[in-house]
Amino acid sequence: MINKSPSTNALLWLMLGLSLGASPHFSYQPLWVMLIFMTMIGWRCMNLWRNWPLPSKQHRSLTWLQLGIAAIATLLLVRSYGNFIGRDAGVALLTVMLGLKVIEIRSHRDYYLSCFLGYFLVVTNFFYSQTIPTASLMFVVVIIMTTCLISLNSPIQSLDSRSRLKLANQMLLQAIPLMLVLFVFFPRIEGPLWGLPQDAYGAKTGIDDSMTLGNISQLILSDEIAFRVKFDGDIPNQSVLYWRGPVLWETDGTTWTELTRKKQNSATPNISNTHSSYQYSTMLEPHNNHWLFALDFPTTLPITLKTHLTQDGQLRADAPVRQRVQYQLNSHTQFQFNVGSDVHLADALQLPADKHQRTKQLAQQWRNHTQQPSELVQLALDHFSQQNFFYTLSPPQLAGDSIDGFLFESRRGFCEHYAASFTVLMRAAGVPARIVTGYLGGEINPVDGVMLIRQRDAHAWTEIWIEGDGWLRVDPTAAVSKERIEHGINTIMPFSMRSPMFISHSRQLFDIWQQLSNNWDALNTGWDQWILAYGPKLQKEFLSKLGMPAPNWQSMVILLTLSITTLLLIISLFLFYQYKRHDPIVQLYQRFCNKLARLGIVREPSEGPLDFAIRACKQLPTYQHQIMLISHQYTQLRYSLEPSVSLVEYRREIRQFNPKQE
Amino acid sequence: MTRALSRIYQKFTHVRGRRLFIIPTRFGFVYAGFLILILLGAINYSNSMGHVLSFLLGSLGLVAMLHTYRNLAKIEFIQAYADPVFCGQSVNFNLVFANSVSQHCYQIEVASKQNKSPSWNPFKRISGYKVHQVIPKLNSEQNTHIIVALAGKQRGKQPLGHIRIASQFPLGLYNVWSYFNNDYTAIIYPKPSGQLTLPVSSEHGQKFHHHQQKGLDDFSGFNNYRTGDPIHTIAWKAVARDKVLRTKQFTSLQGGQLMLLWQDVAQLKDTEARLSQLCLWVIQAESAGMSYGLTLPNSTINYGHGEQHRHRCLTALALYD
Repeated sequence: MINKSPSTNALLWLMLGLSLGASPHFSYQPLWVMLIFMTMIGWRCMNLWRNWPLPSKQHRSLTWLQLGIAAIATLLLVRSYGNFIGRDAGVALLTVMLGLKVIEIRSHRDYYLSCFLGYFLVVTNFFYSQTIPTASLMFVVVIIMTTCLISLNSPIQSLDSRSRLKLANQMLLQAIPLMLVLFVFFPRIEGPLWGLPQDAYGAKTGIDDSMTLGNISQLILSDEIAFRVKFDGDIPNQSVLYWRGPVLWETDGTTWTELTRKKQNSATPNISNTHSSYQYSTMLEPHNNHWLFALDFPTTLPITLKTHLTQDGQLRADAPVRQRVQYQLNSHTQFQFNVGSDVHLADALQLPADKHQRTKQLAQQWRNHTQQPSELVQLALDHFSQQNFFYTLSPPQLAGDSIDGFLFESRRGFCEHYAASFTVLMRAAGVPARIVTGYLGGEINPVDGVMLIRQRDAHAWTEIWIEGDGWLRVDPTAAVSKERIEHGINTIMPFSMRSPMFISHSRQLFDIWQQLSNNWDALNTGWDQWILAYGPKLQKEFLSKLGMPAPNWQSMVILLTLSITTLLLIISLFLFYQYKRHDPIVQLYQRFCNKLARLGIVREPSEGPLDFAIRACKQLPTYQHQIMLISHQYTQLRYSLEPSVSLVEYRREIRQFNPKQE
Repeated sequence: MTRALSRIYQKFTHVRGRRLFIIPTRFGFVYAGFLILILLGAINYSNSMGHVLSFLLGSLGLVAMLHTYRNLAKIEFIQAYADPVFCGQSVNFNLVFANSVSQHCYQIEVASKQNKSPSWNPFKRISGYKVHQVIPKLNSEQNTHIIVALAGKQRGKQPLGHIRIASQFPLGLYNVWSYFNNDYTAIIYPKPSGQLTLPVSSEHGQKFHHHQQKGLDDFSGFNNYRTGDPIHTIAWKAVARDKVLRTKQFTSLQGGQLMLLWQDVAQLKDTEARLSQLCLWVIQAESAGMSYGLTLPNSTINYGHGEQHRHRCLTALALYD
């Protein structure tokens, strides 16, 4: 085509699209990425609006400036990430390069490349977030990038910005049915195809495999969903909704950690006397770790995942959970756990020798009083409930020995403080004890009946081992805050921590907000469950439900081809059908004009029918009667409310009009 | 034999309608490459929205193909005409395209190629086109005309050549094009030149009569309108004055008779120089208001005057061989 630079309008659209597409990245990229990108965009915009110079042969110094920025960006990139390979580094590189490219778009080729990179920018956003808001924003970016391509291929005089945007929307709308077919039937392949970069799955909030006092209380500020549960049948009480996660045994006085992998897998747990069974399916958000959360004690293993149970009763996946996974479980909330003996009892008594001296003294006093584990437990719980201990969501920072500091000075703590200090007390008194972390409670969304367990439901509790009873759960938090256990975290959280500031003042507003957020959560559940989780497994399941007995890729490809062909036919019928809808009066007049055009008398786009008729008469005086008559009939039929001629006459007249050059 | 076959072929193509060709542009291929990249990324990261994006863009590519096709499908080439020119001037072909449907068409590129001997190499058939103009917009249900200027290098008939229209609208991912074979030609008169003077004093035409005759050049008065009078002669201003239709009368000067003979220019060195000289004479005779004729070795044109007559004479000169 004609080799000229893209128009100002097209370039401005491109600036808009690229800025929108890059904007979500700025929240987690270093600040300099945004600075360089926005500076370049700003420079190009000022070039378009105010004619600022760009790097070129006439402006050598600006070329050097551009090269300088590129060099600085490379240095910063190496300093921040060390290489260009990771996910974050790759995105930073792409963003900076796009910025630098923007100021040197001169030809159509540059412009096309930038547009396509803009589409690519969209997909990099999805590596970080696939939520509905992100997807919506990215759809807007796709619309704008498509408008950019249209702008490049049409001059502004013939197609204004609004029509371009409309055309882009129209085309994308027509593409959506095709996209849906592709989404459902395109044979899915299990990823990854090749190695993923180290940082492919960024750090996630959530329970960790180690616990330091203050860890879990940070989570309560997070509204994020940890997992969703749908119960088949009965729903257990709030007070037994203990979702077990990592079990922590070993401590150095501040940090609690799991047993070594070898010890964890040394034996299988021995579960007996089970009661109260519940069936449920869980959809777990990716947390990049091995453990799965299960209601107290799972008695079956999921079939959709490769998992195993550890000796201390953790359900662990063989591979880290990097995508949203779904699994079905059957759990019991009443059971006996390793009644006879436990191989790691020694680990459940270990304490650092030089720490927690005051705590150990207290435990020793109790131990002098009684040797009975159950009585020791009661003493400790009474200590919490009677000695002015408080349950708080924002515990004070503890200096020095955190357990001693909590027990004897601050006396204000979150579940982890109680669990940790209780465990230390028990171990010091000679009762085997360990910390279990996980979640407690969960909220049923009335819209779709799905239980949502959020990060703020994170909890820590204790298990002690008693001869003859096995491992028993003791939740020391219950001694200070019964509400937390029986009604969930929401009851003790003020509205202001669960909703935006301006809403929390009014109960009514809060209720409306709650309802809206319930619906929003339900929508997100559907989105996560059906769209984001749609992979090879779900595809097979879905196609079997559709009536394909054994969906394999051959039959999928055949079905895909057939349905795409059909859809394309429908779309083209729709596109070409628009032709037929026009007015027969205009159509006939067009034929009349064509007949004149064959003799070189062409109607100008701006010429009215009567002006044209007079001009045609001048050139074809022999036919002036017919020309005037037809034009008169046309204006009558087209514009008069009560036309004096009929369409039949008009048609006959045009048919009989066969002018020849004199 | 070949002519008969080509006639059958033309009948066939006529029935099937004009053929449109469509292939992706190089940017279309780059677009496809990007799509594959996005899809591979999506598979690798098991990213559902990445799948959605690559499928959406893939579907957009398919839809764009239909839109590009439609942009050109219903454009008709109505006709072309060019006023005769003298050799050395440029021939301005006026091409008329019709958009007979209710959709506007955009960015139609018009190119042409001179008829060369047909080649069996298909690549040679599609190459060699010269782009003349890009029509930014063909309004719905309207005709549009553009001017294609060709250099009139040789007297005689200048064919318009094959016409190709092409478009990449809306996304530039596909190029659709179509050919119009036609036999429109323009007449190129010989270049008017020569040193010889108009042979008015020869034995063929020496009498100069001066009398009024109805003509076209000079206004001489009004007449009442009679049916059949050309509409452009109606005196509209006079109608506005007293509502009576009158026609304007014109006269032209009749300046004697003159026959331009091939022998008169026989002294010149070659045919082209002779034709050029005759051409100049025809123009001079016409502007002098004479009644003139032309005698060539293979044809004779009788006495006459006026635009049409001049055209006949000059055409005879243009096509002389």
